Amino acid sequence: MARHLDNPPPRFTDDVVPEGAVVDGETHEGEVEDGSFDYVVVGSGAAGAVAAHALAESGASVAIVEEGPWVKTREFGESVYGAFKRMFRDAGTQVIEGRSFVPLIQGRCVGGSTVMNSAIAHRTPEDVLDDWTARFGLGGAITAKALEPHFDALERQLHAHAVFDDALGQNSRMFLDEARAHGLPAERMHRYEEGCRGSARCFTGCPNGAKQGMNVAHVPWALALGARLYCSCKVERVVVERGRAVGVVAWTTSTEPDARRPRRVRLHARRGVIVAASTIQSPNLLRRSGLRARSLGEHFQCHPGVGLAGMFDRPVDMGFGATQGAESLALRRSDKIKLETLAMPPELAAVRIPGVGRELMQRFGLFPRLGVWVMTVRAEAEGTVRPAWSGRDKVRWTPAPIDMDRARRGMALLARMMFEAGAREVWPGLHGVPTAIHSIDQVRLIDEVAPDPRAFGFIATHLFGACRMGPDPRASVVGPDFQAHEVAGLYVVDSSVFPTNLGVNPQHSIMAMSRLAATRIAAGEVRSRVAA
Amino acid sequence: MKLTRFEMAWAVAALVGVFPGSVDTGFASIASMDVPGFLGEALRRIPLRAALGLRAAIWIVAFAPLPTLGRFRTIARLGQADRERVLARLAASNSYAVRSLVMMLKTFGALLYAADDGVRARIEIPAVTANIVPLRVRRVQAA
Ligand SMILES: Cc1cc2nc3c(=O)[nH]c(=O)nc-3n(C[C@H](O)[C@H](O)[C@H](O)COP(=O)(O)OP(=O)(O)OC[C@H]3O[C@@H](n4cnc5c(N)ncnc54)[C@H](O)[C@@H]3O)c2cc1C
Ligand code: SF4
Repeated sequence: MARHLDNPPPRFTDDVVPEGAVVDGETHEGEVEDGSFDYVVVGSGAAGAVAAHALAESGASVAIVEEGPWVKTREFGESVYGAFKRMFRDAGTQVIEGRSFVPLIQGRCVGGSTVMNSAIAHRTPEDVLDDWTARFGLGGAITAKALEPHFDALERQLHAHAVFDDALGQNSRMFLDEARAHGLPAERMHRYEEGCRGSARCFTGCPNGAKQGMNVAHVPWALALGARLYCSCKVERVVVERGRAVGVVAWTTSTEPDARRPRRVRLHARRGVIVAASTIQSPNLLRRSGLRARSLGEHFQCHPGVGLAGMFDRPVDMGFGATQGAESLALRRSDKIKLETLAMPPELAAVRIPGVGRELMQRFGLFPRLGVWVMTVRAEAEGTVRPAWSGRDKVRWTPAPIDMDRARRGMALLARMMFEAGAREVWPGLHGVPTAIHSIDQVRLIDEVAPDPRAFGFIATHLFGACRMGPDPRASVVGPDFQAHEVAGLYVVDSSVFPTNLGVNPQHSIMAMSRLAATRIAAGEVRSRVAA
Repeated sequence: MKLTRFEMAWAVAALVGVFPGSVDTGFASIASMDVPGFLGEALRRIPLRAALGLRAAIWIVAFAPLPTLGRFRTIARLGQADRERVLARLAASNSYAVRSLVMMLKTFGALLYAADDGVRARIEIPAVTANIVPLRVRRVQAA
């Protein structure tokens, strides 16, 4: 075993990797050799890392190709801009276009979005799986029973458990007390972590190696089983010969603006190519590879999220506590909303705090007394994912009127709860409502706000669809065996295949689906021929 | 993409309007930070569309004193109180495009401003250079 960094004793899982296991497109000298593997996995996020690990465990030889760099635990800092420029797609500036611009946040690094996410673990709700069976014909293939062993294994591997007392933080404590007082069942988050110190820094990468993101879990575990990682290598297309996926062509990348000329990397896949580049990048990769299914890029869905800030008389100290420590699922089915707490980094809080100049400075000075509670909507609207002229991705989506109505009601509920919890002021962040409201009576101004997406500051981090799964090639991109209808040996295993969004945080479902797919692929439980 | 000298001066003036700091609040002004260095670096990294958006935001703010205050001068030539009035009006504008672009400018400013060690100390948050945070309380299993 070679030390990857010349730092003092190995401490984190990503400190040590097997000799020769990583080819880094950003720093590699000379041409990158072509390689031949049983499987080539595109993407090292929740879906890709888990699939690669399961395939490696089955004894197959595996290459993981990741567009972004591997930022090690020791390198994580506190600066949001530092994280944006190194680990986030388009340096954090990606947006969904529609009636409004919705920031679209995605990781672009080894571990994908699990590096900056809050590690919240939720099993797929059974009513969602029932719906997939009833409306999308996934019947025997994707069932709660089939997923259960994978959820069990992942929860064991990644130490999923409710946030401990000492890492809960005041923002989440207040939320739990208030939700219960309000008659809403609420719980501590279940998260994948071991030794969380409540540093509230999940968004810039866990500096303690506590959060079990793929960068410290399934990626290094797959490498330990013999897999090879090509990081800073972007797959341009899947190579298809005689209707079968036989490899990929990738180019080296860099996050540095003046990096040297990209070099080509060709990897041969003897048994299959597993696409796990995310809901946004997978459909466009398939398109670049020549797939033309009618539903490719259609049916994009998300859970738009929006937050409410409240200023309290007592310290809240968002700088301490699990980044997202508490939630209520009480309204998931009835109102399609989920309530959560969020510790916002000061850089993002400074944007969210209303005002400019002296007014902003005075409010920002109250940061230690600021609490932020958020809601996500299981939105019904569908959008599209297409390639943009710049070689990037273009996502179009506008929330439906019913989504807006739900968002508005959720915001009003959170505002009421904040006042009941003792907030002195609430900052709704809604155009058409005063920047600060001072009493529960004023919450009706939120109830009355125009249901216009341009009045709301949504962001999107939970993404679904665009390579929909289904038995009918005319209405879907992959079959229930995760294999593309058009190309044999080409599998898509991320949430782009989900027929709908979930109403709960998606990582656990994505990983369980990907693990299910990989075990079936490794066992040969897939169609040997496809339709085209 | 690079900003011209004028554009950079407008950008700095606008961001000082947003994050002026003051003795009574205990915050430094963003003017004491390397705004040109930060914006220059960010503009080289972000995609062209975002860079164009940021540039458009700078132009809108630069010439906003005319439509908002009826003053025929750029933001760089206004005093702090007037800058704040201009920016507050743009932030509350009925035009979604104007609001969004001003918000974008504020976001870039915030990425620099709130990463400053002095600013973070003022709001009781560890400095950006700090890495492993000390364990604050003893670990106990939740009931
Ligand atoms: C800030 C934030 C907080 C979140 N919090 C939670 C949470 O607490 N719980 C939860 O369940 N979910 C959360 N999510 C969502 C969750 O992280 C994602 O749903 C999940 O990571 C998606 O998995 P994925 O594998 O599809 O994509 P990703 O994890 O995004 O990984 C895809 C990877 O593929 C790479 N890639 C893309 N194109 C190519 C290419 N052409 N060649 C090579 N590589 C490529 C990307 O660079 C990326 O690293 C959060 C997301 C964000 C952004
Ligand atoms: S809250 Fe801090 S210690 Fe806990 S998982 Fe997130 S970054 Fe790691």
